[in-house]
Amino acid sequence: MSLLQLEGVSKKFGQVVVGEQITFQLEEARAIGIVGPNGAGKTSLFGIISGDIRPDAGTIHFEGNDLLKLNSAQRARAGIGRTYQVPRPFEHMTVFENALVAAQQGARLRSQHSYDLAYDSLERTGLSEFANQPAGSLTLLHRKRLELSRALATSPRVLLLDEIAGGLTDLEVNELTAIIRQLQSDGIAIVWIEHVVRALLNTVDRLICLAAGKIVADGDPQEVLSSAAVRELYLGGKVVGESVQ
Amino acid sequence: MIWFNLIIQGILVGGFYALFACGLSLMFGVMRVINLAHGDMAVVAGYVAVMLTPHFHIPMLWSFLVVVPLFGLVGYLVQRTLIQKSIDRDPFTTLLVTFGLSVVIENALLQLYTANAQTISIGSILYKSWHPASIIYISYQSLVVLAIAVVVLASLQLFLSKTGTGRQIRAVADDQEAAQLSGTNYRHIFGVAAAISFATVALAGIAYGMTTQFAPTSGGINLLFAFEAVVIGGIGSLWGTLVGGIALGIAQQIGSHINPQYTLLGGNVLFLIVLAIRPQGLFGKKSSL
Repeated sequence: MSLLQLEGVSKKFGQVVVGEQITFQLEEARAIGIVGPNGAGKTSLFGIISGDIRPDAGTIHFEGNDLLKLNSAQRARAGIGRTYQVPRPFEHMTVFENALVAAQQGARLRSQHSYDLAYDSLERTGLSEFANQPAGSLTLLHRKRLELSRALATSPRVLLLDEIAGGLTDLEVNELTAIIRQLQSDGIAIVWIEHVVRALLNTVDRLICLAAGKIVADGDPQEVLSSAAVRELYLGGKVVGESVQ
Repeated sequence: MIWFNLIIQGILVGGFYALFACGLSLMFGVMRVINLAHGDMAVVAGYVAVMLTPHFHIPMLWSFLVVVPLFGLVGYLVQRTLIQKSIDRDPFTTLLVTFGLSVVIENALLQLYTANAQTISIGSILYKSWHPASIIYISYQSLVVLAIAVVVLASLQLFLSKTGTGRQIRAVADDQEAAQLSGTNYRHIFGVAAAISFATVALAGIAYGMTTQFAPTSGGINLLFAFEAVVIGGIGSLWGTLVGGIALGIAQQIGSHINPQYTLLGGNVLFLIVLAIRPQGLFGKKSSL
């Protein structure tokens, strides 16, 4: 049984198609990268999985359970962790409190157990020395790490990472990629949207390319990147019907 | 000495304003709702205390033991039904709905209890005052209300910073979607914030009823004072609300010293000055708790 299974998921905002018959499975502790041009529906796909957006059609199963019956808080508790492209920390709380809310609500832990998990999730992203700072005072890199820590503190089985490497220097990207690879080897499945393709190739074992809400390529990362469909897409080809021309 | 007395009296009445206003501030800070029926809820609490507590055979002084928890429950239910539905539409709807609630409450009270003024009589224990200097009178009752206000604000501050539910309230106030992703059900948290708001305003309403007479239409002027205290102190800051209440109280005392008709004017002038010079309020940060 797959950990996460999407079947025929479709979503339109008025005339804008952000998802059309999206079908894929994610196995436990695997990592999928998602690429595609702006407006391809990548972030909307995360919204659909995490519960911010209700799809028009299709089914989503997580560990065999119907995910669409749950609201986003229940999905977080079930094991879906998500980070936002632009980090959204609780600015007026400390870094530790940010992780603590997630550990107590998302992972349903109490007292010492929740403190331990919150601290551990900061430790894993290298943020523990900033634990008592207000989250609003963090730099971009640290905000991205906090975004990751907060998602980790919910004890996720799958992590949805939305352009977590965007806006960082090469060195910072490498540090973050190392953290993510470690998470994967700890058994957390990863779905990672990224424009910094180099960061993806070091980590994921499968790549999906989205365009205009459709999956246009899915498979081995190198093969997907070198496929005609994807090359055309990035070189400015048009999507017509089922394929890229 | 006259000025000293004005400040003392301002501080005493300011405690009451802060008690009244903290719920208004919390509702706005957490769910961006300005509850225009806030003042009327205090009046309803006064009526409930007067009309219902005899049935429970408890002294008026202790009526808050019944009324405050009851209002907490009412607050949760009103939020989860009426107010949440209007939040789901748009912010303007919440103004219309709470304004409508205010109109309905006033008229229902007029219908049920006429326009006659009521008071919560608690005997003479608290009507005495301390007389430390020639023209300074400190009423025990005002002192007790100020102490209650400080205790309520301190407990609320402690609750928000030290408990799991308090942290959830702060998280939701900062970013409700991100709070959802962390496993927090923001609708429940909105309900809890409304429960606290209604419970505190019920306490303020009972304190008001013990201090002075109230009638079905008393809610409006109290809403104005609460609103001014919140804006002067800075929205979202609980201690700011206390300072705002006290500043408002002192300004009103100074106004009334110049001319007894200028009581409200004194407060309104301060309110306008703060709005003009420091619109975020004395302790205001952007949407913090």
